[in-house]
Amino acid sequence: MSEVLLREAFVTALGRCLPGEPVGNAEMEDFIGRICGKASRLGPIALAQNGIRTRHYALDRDGRTRWTNAKLAASALADALAKSEVSAAQIDFLAAATTQNDVLVPGFASMVHGETALGPLEIASFQSVCAGVMMALKTAALQVRADGKRAAAVVGSEFASRFFRPGAYENTDLVDARGAIPKDADFLRWTLSDGASAAIVEPRPNEHSLSLKIEWIELRSFADRVETCMWGGGARDDDSGDVTPWNLAASAGAAVARGDFVLRQDFRLLERLLPMWIAEFLRLVGQGRLTITEIDWLVCHYSAEFLRKEMVALLDKAGCNIPAEKWFGTLPRVGNIGSAAILASLAALVEERPLRHGQKILCVVPESGRCIISFALLTVTTPPGARQ
Amino acid sequence: MNAPSTDLAPAVQQTTRELLQVRFEFESALHIVPIIAKIERGKLRLEDYRRLLVNLRQQVVDGARWIARAASNIGPEHEELRSMFLRHAVAEHKDYLMLEQDFVACGGMLAEIRSTAKNIGSEALSAWMFQAASRPAPLALIGAMTIIEGLGARVAASWAQVIREQLGLGDDAVSFLRHHGTNDPAHLDALERALDLALSAGTPATEIVRTARIVARLYRLQLEEIDNV
Repeated sequence: MSEVLLREAFVTALGRCLPGEPVGNAEMEDFIGRICGKASRLGPIALAQNGIRTRHYALDRDGRTRWTNAKLAASALADALAKSEVSAAQIDFLAAATTQNDVLVPGFASMVHGETALGPLEIASFQSVCAGVMMALKTAALQVRADGKRAAAVVGSEFASRFFRPGAYENTDLVDARGAIPKDADFLRWTLSDGASAAIVEPRPNEHSLSLKIEWIELRSFADRVETCMWGGGARDDDSGDVTPWNLAASAGAAVARGDFVLRQDFRLLERLLPMWIAEFLRLVGQGRLTITEIDWLVCHYSAEFLRKEMVALLDKAGCNIPAEKWFGTLPRVGNIGSAAILASLAALVEERPLRHGQKILCVVPESGRCIISFALLTVTTPPGARQ
Repeated sequence: MNAPSTDLAPAVQQTTRELLQVRFEFESALHIVPIIAKIERGKLRLEDYRRLLVNLRQQVVDGARWIARAASNIGPEHEELRSMFLRHAVAEHKDYLMLEQDFVACGGMLAEIRSTAKNIGSEALSAWMFQAASRPAPLALIGAMTIIEGLGARVAASWAQVIREQLGLGDDAVSFLRHHGTNDPAHLDALERALDLALSAGTPATEIVRTARIVARLYRLQLEEIDNV
């Protein structure tokens, strides 16, 4: 076996699309609406738990929109290209991730490509939840490193609010006599919002500005041992955990009436996911891929309830806790934007913090859907003239 | 004799980290063991619970015995650790009585739980434990205790609760799991101190972690081999 020399891969530009103005907690229901005309009782509790203060919606107050998910993604990509040293014509690979595509067919990457000025190029679609963009980023890095691509574009995009309007719930079996929906459905209305982010990946760093070298990306699924924790597009049997797809219902109308298209989350299961995520983190430390003391910034996609005191205490004893001052995230102001979250946070980190050459950034993206955990280690690379 | 704890801290942290990883991977693997999957899906039948109790009992009887045997192989140079092993053995040597009581409380016959042979997973676990405890200065067994106590500390209480709920049982029928859910966190704290001492005494961390990995696998085997006696 002869050793193959791989090229390196750098994130050379980041972009975002956060549609509209930031929406505060008090105005949220003006945008996502009030189911059966009543204010949600769960809302304030959910907001206290997730700590989100503002978010963006691609809907206006009446639920109208000029956006699609693909347009949000294309807009974030345009933002990244505007900051990039490459032009659209040089992009030869596009990887696109989302939780729910605008349409069932064709793939998301096709729809995003159609909204851009990119020429004919290789594409790949990734349908997962929050971790989908890590799959896209890893594929882009591999395309650049091993397949000779000059410049790859990665997008993660979500248009969640359109599923949260009253019309998505009313006239389904999920609404009870008082006009309320189950907590496992209402909670996500107060958690998820809209936005897109993008990255350009190249085999070389920028000449004029900072780049982030991709050291490695690791992702692992535990779906072999965990029931579906967050789902949409089917009815889950709570006993067996099996999800019956909407398209096996007698008719699309019957699936709608059953509430199959409502996004839901099993909170009880979340408890079981955390040890698996932490074990994976410890595995990387044990393998020497991750050295805790070398991490300068931790960009972790999280929801507040995951940060359990017990876990922090355990990590402390194991010498694996990353001090709070190294954490960076935009959840409180940007909201939880699923697959768009991690690159949007990275974009903010690059803009708002004085990053130095050689600093290490650890990105962590857990996904509750059916239990995935992913990590990326990046090294800040500045042009030689800018180094101190 | 003890090295200053400041010199030791990184080694303790590294071993703690590796043991935590083994514990969480053990916990993760249990979700696909049929009897555990039934508990977690709310599908456990009363008979399944009774079989679980019967299958645990014989190994629990042995638990305090291998710890006591290990203590007898710890010499005067590790007095404090020997005390800890002995205290642990005393604390747990009658735990099997709780399993018997739970079994009777959910309709089982005492003679049955007392007379059933170990399942083949328990045979493997017990046999390995006794041979490890029979070696000179078997301090690496701290790794084994961390796995067993760690399971009790993190999941026993939640199993007790969901088993009670799905079978409509009283506290008197889940006393073994409840007891471990309540007491094992304190035992884990004591084990941290023991780990510190064992590493100071020169026990290789790799042996402690390897012991934990072996016991995690054999403990899971015991749960996979329910009623395969």
